[in-house]
Amino acid sequence: MSNPSKVTKAEDDTQGRASVAGARKPGATFEPRIVAFLCKWCSSAGSDLAGVSRIQYSANATPITIPCSGSVSPMYILSAFNKGADGVLISGCHPGDCHYMEGNYLARRKLYLVKELLQFIGLESERFRMSWVSAAEGAKFAEVVDEFVEDLRVLGPQNRLKAKR
Amino acid sequence: MVNVEEIRDYAANLLKKGEVKSVLGFRRGSASAFAEPCTITDVGEATSLVWDPTCLNNLTLYLVKDRKQQAAAKNPDNRPVGIVAKGCDSRAIGVLLQENYFKREDVVVIGVSCEGTGVVDPRKLSAKLKGRTASRVTFGGADGINVSVYGDETETVIPAREILADRCLECRAAVPALNDVVFGEAVGAREFDEPFHAAKEAESLSADERWATWEHHFDRCLRCFACRAVCPMCYCPECVVDSTTFVVTLGTSAEEKANRIRWCERSANTSESAVYHLTRTIHLAGRCIDCGECERVCPVNIPLRLLNTKLEKEAFEMFEYQAGHDIEQASLLSSFRDEDPNSFIR
Ligand code: SF4
Ligand code: SF4
Repeated sequence: MSNPSKVTKAEDDTQGRASVAGARKPGATFEPRIVAFLCKWCSSAGSDLAGVSRIQYSANATPITIPCSGSVSPMYILSAFNKGADGVLISGCHPGDCHYMEGNYLARRKLYLVKELLQFIGLESERFRMSWVSAAEGAKFAEVVDEFVEDLRVLGPQNRLKAKR
Repeated sequence: MVNVEEIRDYAANLLKKGEVKSVLGFRRGSASAFAEPCTITDVGEATSLVWDPTCLNNLTLYLVKDRKQQAAAKNPDNRPVGIVAKGCDSRAIGVLLQENYFKREDVVVIGVSCEGTGVVDPRKLSAKLKGRTASRVTFGGADGINVSVYGDETETVIPAREILADRCLECRAAVPALNDVVFGEAVGAREFDEPFHAAKEAESLSADERWATWEHHFDRCLRCFACRAVCPMCYCPECVVDSTTFVVTLGTSAEEKANRIRWCERSANTSESAVYHLTRTIHLAGRCIDCGECERVCPVNIPLRLLNTKLEKEAFEMFEYQAGHDIEQASLLSSFRDEDPNSFIR
C-alpha cells in the first residue's frame, strides 16, 4: 500500500479490538472506530495523498472505497453502527465535481435525511458526518479525520445502535 | 354531506357499464360499528357500500395486491379497478402512479371528502366510551363525530379532536386531489393540530430522552412485519431486511452463506429492530403519505407515524417536496436542487 499512515485491515482489526476492550477497562484511553466510506474519484485519492505526503493523522478510520458518494445506501451506515462503529464518515467530491455529474447532489439529499433520522431517534449528532474532500485535499482529509476522532473521544463508545451479541 | 347513495350509484354504474372489473370500498363490518374493506364485483353488491368515520383503511393496498395477483396470473384480468379513496388514499395512488406501479387508466378514483373532520382512532374511541362498544359512528359536521353505543341508541356528539386519528388532526388536504369524481364538499381549512405537530413535539426532547423513548419502542417491536404488510408503498416482493428467496439447503456452501449480505438479523432485539425501523423509514422517505395504517395495525402500539412524519417534515421544509401531490414530479431521492442544505457537510 502506498499510504504509510493508512492502517491495513489486519492492524486495524487488532487495534479495534484493543480499543473495544480498552473502553471497558477503566483508565485505558478510548480509541474511536470510524468507518469511512470514501468516493474513489476524490476522497479515497485524497486519503492516499495524505499518506504519501506523510501527514500525521489519527489511524482510527477504516476506509472503504465506494464508486461515488451517491452510491451510499443508508443501509451501509445503519449496518456500520449496528456492527459497532463509533462514527461513520461519508466523503465525496465537492458539489459540481462529481464524476457522474450529480451523484454527490443525490447523496447530499439522501444523507441529510439519514442524518436527521438518526438524530431524531436519539443517536448523538456528532457520530455521523459527511465531508467534501477532493483528490488534492490530503491535508483536509487528515483534518476531517482528526476532528472526528477528537469529537468521538468526548462522546465515548457508541452503544445505542450497536448489536448486543 | 356525502350522500352514500350517490357513491353506491356511481359504483353500480361503473360495474354495469363494464368500465371496471371491481370496486374497492367499505362495507359494514360484522362486529361493532367499524367498516371493513370489501371488493365488489356485482352491481347488486353496490348497495352494501358505506362511507363514515370508521372507514379507516387505505384501500390502495388492495390495488397493489391486485397488480401482484394479475402479474402472477395465467390469464391476467387487466381491466381497471375502481377505488373509494380519502384524501390520504388518493395521495398513495399518486405516489404509485409517480413510480409507474400502474397507469392512470388502470384505476378509477372515487374520491370522498372527509367533511372537515376525518376518521376515528379506534383506541381513542374505546377509551372515550369506557368499555362500551360503538354501534354507529357518523360525521357530525365541522367539529363533531356522532356516536351511539349498543344498548343506547341516542346519538352523542363527541368533539372530533378527541377521537380523530392523529394523522387526521394534522392533515393538510382532506380532499382527494387525484380523482375521477369527488363526493362531499371540499372542506379546506381545518382547525385541529398544525402539520407535523407530533414530530415537532418529539424533536423538542433532548437526545438522551429521545433515545430512551425509541430504545423502549425498538425493544418492544415483535418484528411481526404487520406495519410493512399493510403499507401500500412497501410493495417489494422481497424485503431487504428479511430475505425470503435465499433458501439455505444442504447444498448451500459456507461461502454462499457468508457472501449473502444480511443487513440485519431477524431476531427481535433492540439493535436489529432499530435497523429495520430506520430502513423502513428511509425507504419511505418522500413516499409515505401519512395514511397512518402502519401505526394502526401495530399490535404493540409503536408510534411509527412519528418516524415517517419526521422525514415528511424534512422533505417539506428543506426540499419543498410533498409525497403524492404531483404525479409528474421526480421522486424525492432522485432529484435535487442547488439550494439543498449543504452546511452540515464539512
Ligand atoms: S408508512 Fe405507514 S403511514 Fe406511510 S404510507 Fe405506509 S402505511 Fe401509510
Ligand atoms: S407492526 Fe409493530 S410490532 Fe409489528 S413489526 Fe411493525 S412495529 Fe414491530
